[in-house]
Amino acid sequence: MNTTLLQLKNVGKRFGDHVVLSEINLEIAKGEVVCVIGPSGSGKSTLLRCINFIAPPEEGEVIFEGRSWKRFHSALNFIANRKYEAQLPKLRAEIGMVFQHFNVFPHMSAIENVMLGLTKVRGKNRNEAREIAERSLRQVGLGDKLDQYPEKLSGGQKQRVAIARALALNPKVMLFDEVTSALDPELVTGILDEMRRLASDGMTMVVVTHEMNFAFQVATRIVFMDAGRIVTIGTPDEIRNTTEPRARAFLSSILG
Amino acid sequence: MASEQPFFDFAPIWQAKSLLIEGFGIAMFSAIAGIFFAILLGLVVAMMRLSRYRVLRAIAFIYTQLFRGVPLYVLVLWIYFGLVFAVGIDIPRIPSGIIALALLNSGYLSETFRSGILAVDKGQREAGEALGLRPWQVNRFIVLPQAGRIVVPPTGNQFVDAIKDSAILSIIGVPELMKIAQEQANMYYRPFEFYTVAGLLYLVAVILVSKGISRLERRLARFSREKIEASSDADKTVSEVGG
Amino acid sequence: MDGYQYNWDVVWQSLPELRQGLIITLQVSIVGMALAVVFGLLCAIGRLSQYGYLRKISIVIIDFSRSIPLFVLLFWVYYGLSLKFSINLTAFQAGAIALGITGGAYMAEVFRGGINAVDFGQREAALAIGLTQAKAFNLVVFPQAIRIIIPQAVNVYVGLLKGATIVSVIGVADMIYVAQYVSLNSFTPFEMYSAVGVAFIALTVSIAGLAYLLEMRLNRGRSRG
Repeated sequence: MNTTLLQLKNVGKRFGDHVVLSEINLEIAKGEVVCVIGPSGSGKSTLLRCINFIAPPEEGEVIFEGRSWKRFHSALNFIANRKYEAQLPKLRAEIGMVFQHFNVFPHMSAIENVMLGLTKVRGKNRNEAREIAERSLRQVGLGDKLDQYPEKLSGGQKQRVAIARALALNPKVMLFDEVTSALDPELVTGILDEMRRLASDGMTMVVVTHEMNFAFQVATRIVFMDAGRIVTIGTPDEIRNTTEPRARAFLSSILG
Repeated sequence: MASEQPFFDFAPIWQAKSLLIEGFGIAMFSAIAGIFFAILLGLVVAMMRLSRYRVLRAIAFIYTQLFRGVPLYVLVLWIYFGLVFAVGIDIPRIPSGIIALALLNSGYLSETFRSGILAVDKGQREAGEALGLRPWQVNRFIVLPQAGRIVVPPTGNQFVDAIKDSAILSIIGVPELMKIAQEQANMYYRPFEFYTVAGLLYLVAVILVSKGISRLERRLARFSREKIEASSDADKTVSEVGG
Repeated sequence: MDGYQYNWDVVWQSLPELRQGLIITLQVSIVGMALAVVFGLLCAIGRLSQYGYLRKISIVIIDFSRSIPLFVLLFWVYYGLSLKFSINLTAFQAGAIALGITGGAYMAEVFRGGINAVDFGQREAALAIGLTQAKAFNLVVFPQAIRIIIPQAVNVYVGLLKGATIVSVIGVADMIYVAQYVSLNSFTPFEMYSAVGVAFIALTVSIAGLAYLLEMRLNRGRSRG
């Protein structure tokens, strides 16, 4: 078996009284492409945000490269919490994330967007950072748009900048949160192709998506979520033939 | 001598309490009257700003720039002291104060009303006209009620400002809260106590008025929201008439 | 109403003193604004803090400062505080402090509004690439918030400028003070106060114009991606 890169153990998350995730258990091996599907509101996006602690889970732990990350809750653990919070940026630097609404920084050019992580997180000097950033942007096909500002870029181009920005830091895992949902239809394929390329290059990926064709073609495993829980996990073939009723219902409404 | 006194000497406050309350009443009266006339004036000016005739628009524009640019203090002095000489009309204290408050706040309110009217979705007016309503009816039954809901919070804020501004009237001798506080502070030699109490009284007034405005806002919002919830998703252009 | 001889010469003759008064008005309002920015920033940080009790205290401070009339605050600081605590403040200092407190309450809301206006996803993306909270704020959120904050800050300043007229009452020799004693001696309140009014309107309109230009420049080529 491949080495487990990332593991979620009993992860739970709530916002106030509203429970968004409960009892999430998931192991992801190096090189896997895990696609998360499910109805809206099932907690898929929150799941991703728990992995890199942008939305720290209230319960459970996240084990990444053998190190456990968890949040303590009583006030007595104030100091422990402050300590682990200070370490979070290191965790996040190893995990790349691409968002549905791109979230490229509008006050910086494309190349500056990519350089920010390199200079401020990896501590590289500007020349090195610029080289790496340039390479990263060329790889996503934006070599001629280095100094453009986001407002002049199309949705697909902005999303590529976002992908380049994340990849430039050489992450061990890439998280994709419905990255094509906000794009015009003709731009979707371009981004999906980028993701296919990444997958075939061996990147470990967790992809929340509604693009079923993509999911069934590219995923090593598919996770079906509903109402904050993982309902069923399996290879694309297993899921396609699942007998689990909710998954069945969801798939037939999407795939027909 | 000073070492014997308590930190906060309540006694003179207690003695002067009825005077302070009276002053508070006059302050509130001036503010309310001022805002009342400011609303009337503001509405007229807003309408002028939105009119088809460039002359009216220009006059209204100058009006707003004028009364938003001049400090209340200067306006008050100009009305109370200046007009007497120039125009020969001797306007007594309280009316001077009220006029000044009205003019100043009408400048801001006209802008508020103008934005509020413009904020009502154009489609509402179109729908009204399509029904066959005449322009004044479209305004009266469709546009203004909705604009009214929108302008309640900023108008409320303006009222709060008027309450605070009423303190300036003390300078021309209006016996409102600040003036009373001044007189009593000098008489008893307790400025800290009296100005603290005055401040607290204004604070209470402001908090009460703000809460009242929020309540009003919520009650009005119920009308548009209920209708939005009642209609199905297919019906996107809701926000119905009346309410 | 005939019979009143407008005496505009008095205005021309007092121009030097009026100009001095204007300078004092500008000085006290600028110092007040500086204090307001500092005080407002502190309150805003408290207001946005993750600690509930700090938030609550900040809200209370902001609401207090916003609800008390400037005039009352001024007297409270100049006469009340200094008597009770035996601090010796000049009228100018008391005026600047009072302006700083009132302005600070408004600036706190301006800072908070500007920061909240920046899309939440920007902060998420900044954290996701591994920036610390502090760097995420300094490099990504605040630069975008500033565009919204500056025009509103100018509005607050204009408010302080107009509010600063009150300080003449405690003896600061600003424009109104000049107008008052000149008009007392020459019986020309109408002319003097008109002149001062016009001066303020001109000042306000110019500042508004500058702010508009500033806003245009800030927004040039930098709107949301």
